[in-house]
Formats: sequence, structure tokens, C-alpha cells
Amino acid sequence: MLVTTTSAVDGKPVQEYLGVINAQSIIGANIFKDIFAGLRDVFGGRSKTYEKVLEQAKEDALRELTQKAQALGANGILGVDLDFETIGSGGSMLMVIATGTAVRL
Amino acid sequence: MKSYFGSYHTSSGTEPEEATVLVFDKNLNIGFRNPDGSNAMVNWLLKDVETSFDFSSQQTKLKNTRPPGGELFIKGNDAGNYIKEMLAEQQKAWHKKSSGKEWIRNSLLLLGILAVLYLLYMLIVPWLSQKLASKVSIKTEKQLGDAVYDALGLAEQEDKSKSFVLNQFFELMDVPSAYNINITVVNDEVVNAFALPGGRIVVYSALLKEITSYPELAALLSHEFTHVNNKHSTKSIFRRLGSKVFLGLLFGRFGTVTSVVVNHADNLKSLKYSRSLEKEADMDGLDILTKRNIDPNGFVDLFHHLQKAGLTNNMPEFLGSHPDVDKRIAYIQEASKGTAVKEDAELKAIFEKLK
Repeated sequence: MLVTTTSAVDGKPVQEYLGVINAQSIIGANIFKDIFAGLRDVFGGRSKTYEKVLEQAKEDALRELTQKAQALGANGILGVDLDFETIGSGGSMLMVIATGTAVRL
Repeated sequence: MKSYFGSYHTSSGTEPEEATVLVFDKNLNIGFRNPDGSNAMVNWLLKDVETSFDFSSQQTKLKNTRPPGGELFIKGNDAGNYIKEMLAEQQKAWHKKSSGKEWIRNSLLLLGILAVLYLLYMLIVPWLSQKLASKVSIKTEKQLGDAVYDALGLAEQEDKSKSFVLNQFFELMDVPSAYNINITVVNDEVVNAFALPGGRIVVYSALLKEITSYPELAALLSHEFTHVNNKHSTKSIFRRLGSKVFLGLLFGRFGTVTSVVVNHADNLKSLKYSRSLEKEADMDGLDILTKRNIDPNGFVDLFHHLQKAGLTNNMPEFLGSHPDVDKRIAYIQEASKGTAVKEDAELKAIFEKLK
């Protein structure tokens, strides 16, 4: 499965557009991760714990997007866009929305 | 997850179909089009997949050993290696898997951090607060105590004649201190007494009425004096402040539920500290009495009167700011065994003036 943020792929013209697909992943950093991140906020430096959560959410969203594309018979997803949002009271949860166009190249 | 392009044969020898392959931790999905143009998907479990690499065509051959079978050809050997890697990972014991190792490492790290935070909260913050409290000058403490006294608006209800007698009584006890002790009797129905930072002690008239002997009054004043002399109020203020700042930094950003839980836990800890200060005031107060041969049973009578007046309640001890009355009586009686007692006529005479 070719997953790209570009609207076309060199040397591989689009044969069929199969529609816009999207997938989302909403993930909560648990209280312990919040404590680690809280310490980072106090003492400074990169928060690896939050970075991992972000990475995990992004991977989950892309995996789901790829599965949806495969179910449509696509072999590529063009124009992939990733949106990151915080939701929940006090922005305690992270949401990643992946959107793209499923195509047959 | 990894994705590949490949050629899928529904069974050995059939026409190949162009396929997209998604390999997950435990399974792989093959998406392809049927000859009639419709989409189709098959799912194989990795444990059922046999992999081999054909050097001549530089392709990995994947074969589903479980019915209905099927063969898949993928260019290169990456897919085969990835599947072997996934299978090897699955066969490991949980603590040897990369996810398990990460879990163990994170748990140990978390335990370490919690232990450090626990030490900070239980030992370092209180120790630092005590140190800071001991640096506060008597003058500052007096200003603080006077500000609280003024804010309470007790001056208007003062019984000056009784205040004079009580100050005379305490002076006669001759307790050495860097503080200038100032006892105020306030007309009120509350059966209580308290000490403010800097030397001010407030005794309510209703409590004075309950007191029946001069050793009892001496016990009350020596207890309150210890609160002043040992900077109990100032220490409590600094400890509360230290804890609040520390917990605020850690949990301030969290929601209401976490704040409520943390605050209540902190309140219970501060009540424990309060009980330890009350015990210290009892024991040091007892010491003042025994050094002057005043009957230590004054404390026991005082506790009985407080109990009778309903100042103590039936709450479990861990919810109270003072130790349980029965425990207070027990440790006072234990510590005062064999104490020499001698009646002090002067103190008795002053006490009589109050009655």
C-alpha cells in the first residue's frame, strides 16, 4: 500500500479513485504518563512519554486508514493529511485524524 | 504494521492476482480483485504461514498451511524477515517481548520516581518547612499572631480581670522562654483554648468554668505554652504551605477528582502531624508540671472535663486534630508514674481568685 501526502505519484497514474477515507485514533495518556510529563513541564526538556503517545496515536490512525483503503480494493492512498487535536476536559486526551483519497494506481 | 505489494494465488497453479498485503503482529490481510472486478480480502494467521525465499526470482513465497490455502509472492525478502520477526516476538515469554520489556522498564522507572516523590513529600518537604519555620523571628511570629487575634475580633470580649489573674498564675509558674507570653481570657460559651504564634494564648471563659483545680489550669497553660514555645503554629503553617506548593506543582494541572483525592490525602497527613504536635505539647507540658512538683493528674482532669464538655467527639482518631482522649490520658499516666507532688500554696491562692 502506497501511502503519501502528495496528490500524485511519479510514473504511476491513478487508474481509479475509490473515495475519500478517514480514520481517527483517540488516545489518553494515563495518569502516570501525566506525572512524567508534569515533571518535564517543571524541570524542562523533551517529554518522551507524550511523544510516544502521539506516535502511537498517529500509527493507529494510519493503520486504520490503510485497512479501510485495502477493503475498498485500493493499492494507494494519496493526499494524506494528519490532524492533531486535544479533547476531553482540560485537553487530557489526544485525537489524531488521518484523511486521504483511496486510489488504484 | 508493514504493507507490501504482491501476487496472490488462491491455490497453487491458479492465475496470480495483484494484491496489497498488510502484515500485522499476529495476522496478515491480503486485498485483491476477483476476475469479475469485485474486491476480495483474505486473512491469514502468521502462525499458519510458511515462508521461503527464491533466490532466482528474488521473491519471498508465503504459503498458508491452513485450508483453503493460497500462495503469495512478494518481491525481496523483507516480508519474510518481518513475519519471522513477528512470530519470534510472539513466542517469547511476555517479559522478554519488546512490549513486556518496555512495560517492566516503565514500571521500574515509575516506581523509582514515585519513591523519590514519596521521600520528597514525606521527608524533604517537611524537613525544609521545619527549617524555614525555625528561621522565622519571634517578632514576625508576634506580628502574625496579633494579626490573627485582631482578625478574630476577640479583644472586645476580653475579661481583663481574669486575664490579669491568669498571667499572674503563669508568671508564678516561672517557665523560662524567649517569648513574652500574654494570656487572654475571652467571654464565650466555647469550651476551648488555643495558642497563636508569638506568645498569645487565648482561653475561653467557658473552659475556665470547667476547671476545678490549679494543677488542671497549670496543665492547660503549660500545654498551650508548649505550642508557642515550640513554634507549633508556625511549623504547621510552613508544612501546609510546603505540601500545597509541592502537590500543586505535581497535580495542579489535573482535573477536579484528582485534586479532591490528593487534597484529602494531604489533609489526613496534616492531621497526623497535628496529632503529633498535640502529643508533644502534652508531654512537654507534663515536663513543666513535674519539674515544679505540680500534680500531673491536672492533665487527666483536664482531659476528662474536655470530654465531658463534648469538645472531643467520637470520630476515629485518624480524622481528628488531637489524639484520642483515652490515649492522651494513658500516656500522661504512664509518663507521670512516681512523680513527686507538692502543693503550691501560692498557685492555689491565685487559682482561688478565679473561682
